[in-house]
Amino acid sequence: MPDTESNPSGNAMSRRDFLANGAAMAAGVAALAAAMSPLRHLTEEDLPSIEEFLQKHYKEMTPEEKAAALERIREQVRKRYGVDAKVADPPPLDGVEFVYGLNISRCIGCRKCVHACVAENNQSRSPEIQYIRVLEMEKGSIDVESANHHYDAEKVPRPDKWYMPVQCHQCANPPCVKVCPVEATWQEPDGITVIDYDWCIGCRYCEAACPYWARRFNFTKPQIPKEEINPNMAYLSNRPRSKGVMEKCTFCLHRARAGRLPACLEVCPTGSRKFGNVLDPDSEVHFILKNKRVFILKADVGTLPRFFYYFDERGSRYHEPITPDSKGKELKEGA
Amino acid sequence: MKGRLTLWVAFVFLACAAVLALNPVPFVSPVPARVMVPPWATDPTPVRQPKLKPEYTAAGFTYQCMDCHRIIPSPSETLRKLTQHTEIQLNHGINTRCFNCHHPTNRNAFVDDFGQEIAWNQPQLLCAKCHGPVYRDWQAGSHGRINGYWDKARGPQTKRRCIECHDPHHPPFAAMKPAPGPNTLRMGRQKPLEHGGKRDPLRIYSQGAEANPKH
Repeated sequence: MPDTESNPSGNAMSRRDFLANGAAMAAGVAALAAAMSPLRHLTEEDLPSIEEFLQKHYKEMTPEEKAAALERIREQVRKRYGVDAKVADPPPLDGVEFVYGLNISRCIGCRKCVHACVAENNQSRSPEIQYIRVLEMEKGSIDVESANHHYDAEKVPRPDKWYMPVQCHQCANPPCVKVCPVEATWQEPDGITVIDYDWCIGCRYCEAACPYWARRFNFTKPQIPKEEINPNMAYLSNRPRSKGVMEKCTFCLHRARAGRLPACLEVCPTGSRKFGNVLDPDSEVHFILKNKRVFILKADVGTLPRFFYYFDERGSRYHEPITPDSKGKELKEGA
Repeated sequence: MKGRLTLWVAFVFLACAAVLALNPVPFVSPVPARVMVPPWATDPTPVRQPKLKPEYTAAGFTYQCMDCHRIIPSPSETLRKLTQHTEIQLNHGINTRCFNCHHPTNRNAFVDDFGQEIAWNQPQLLCAKCHGPVYRDWQAGSHGRINGYWDKARGPQTKRRCIECHDPHHPPFAAMKPAPGPNTLRMGRQKPLEHGGKRDPLRIYSQGAEANPKH
């Protein structure tokens, strides 16, 4: 409708139109302000600092830049948790390739490894992020699709069940690395696949690509009580993550590269977990690969894991209590 | 006419602003409440702490084994009723006799296959009498617990011995209570009883009888 008809004075806009437009604009601004109002909850730590924003990819940082980044992370941890952490960046060791062995004849499914891992690697406690999943399956089957990781028995192991913990297999042919669009994850020379948490864009392609469901995403800001922070941190492993990035098992890189055993292994009450340098002919993992019966999970997907499940010569009878009736059963069976 | 239309635009904007500001449908976080993990779940202490000493504690007193056994002979007949050590429930396969493992005359030692002594602090040699493959695996490190450093050049390594996990009188590894299960955003079971539990893919398989009582 042409304006001039209701506008005898010839002005571009009538008084009524001006007021209506003004009201619409004011309401629009109000709506915009209301829509933006959640921004008022943003705090300083939600936004990256200049240094964090300009930080280069881990592999492109010079030693000085790396030292500055470690110092910045240390300061961030101190501000966020009030903890004086030691943030290191241990380099891969020469002539070392880490391999993990897990004795499924001995694992009882107690889940202690799960929680030792969480305590060591500063995972979010709420919502929970856990790198290890312990699958419970029927004896005589290895159907991971029907496996249960929610079992809550009075006592484990339950008769007729067996347990298979699954975590990152540190594949030699890792699909998660191939799909990363920004090269924020890569395989280190000692076989550990790591993530630069400051470079990750959180697209979760790697989570989808992993056939072992080993990668975890921080949907929210990780919540860790101050007193539960592990102050022994490394850039590539257990420094606190932020919202919107992936994380994964690194075989406790900050421990492994200092010669120590991973936290999940230390806590295992049955000694089912074995870790070491496969290139060392005297190591336990070398013995296991050479002498024990070993299998890898989902061998058909061609990921060449460095995580090997093995079992003992005889079927493990650990769950059967020895009773007066069963005494000498081995001999009666003619085994 | 135009002015009236613009007023409607203003009204819609104001309504939007009011809805956004009043927040009538508050955000409910799907994050479940934290499940506390008991301290034993992260404790690396072995399940047993044997004394590794030829001592016996009864009624609050600690005795050296030979305090009694030097004077009191133990009859070789084993099917008699025990008057001492009655708390020991011997459930170790076909080993129904004390002297299969304990030395008949020197109670500070175990006995090997030839009647010779095995020192008290070398219990793994006693177990090796029967459990050859396991002993081999233990020596090589593929059986049993190892704590500390994988790289012995960098730090100490503790190799746990048989009786730090197994009760020699009842050797199967004792069943224990599992630590809390996952309660994560994707792995947590947030609505376990939705659709009577029939839509939960984990339930269909593992607890089929409970979920579908008809089958």
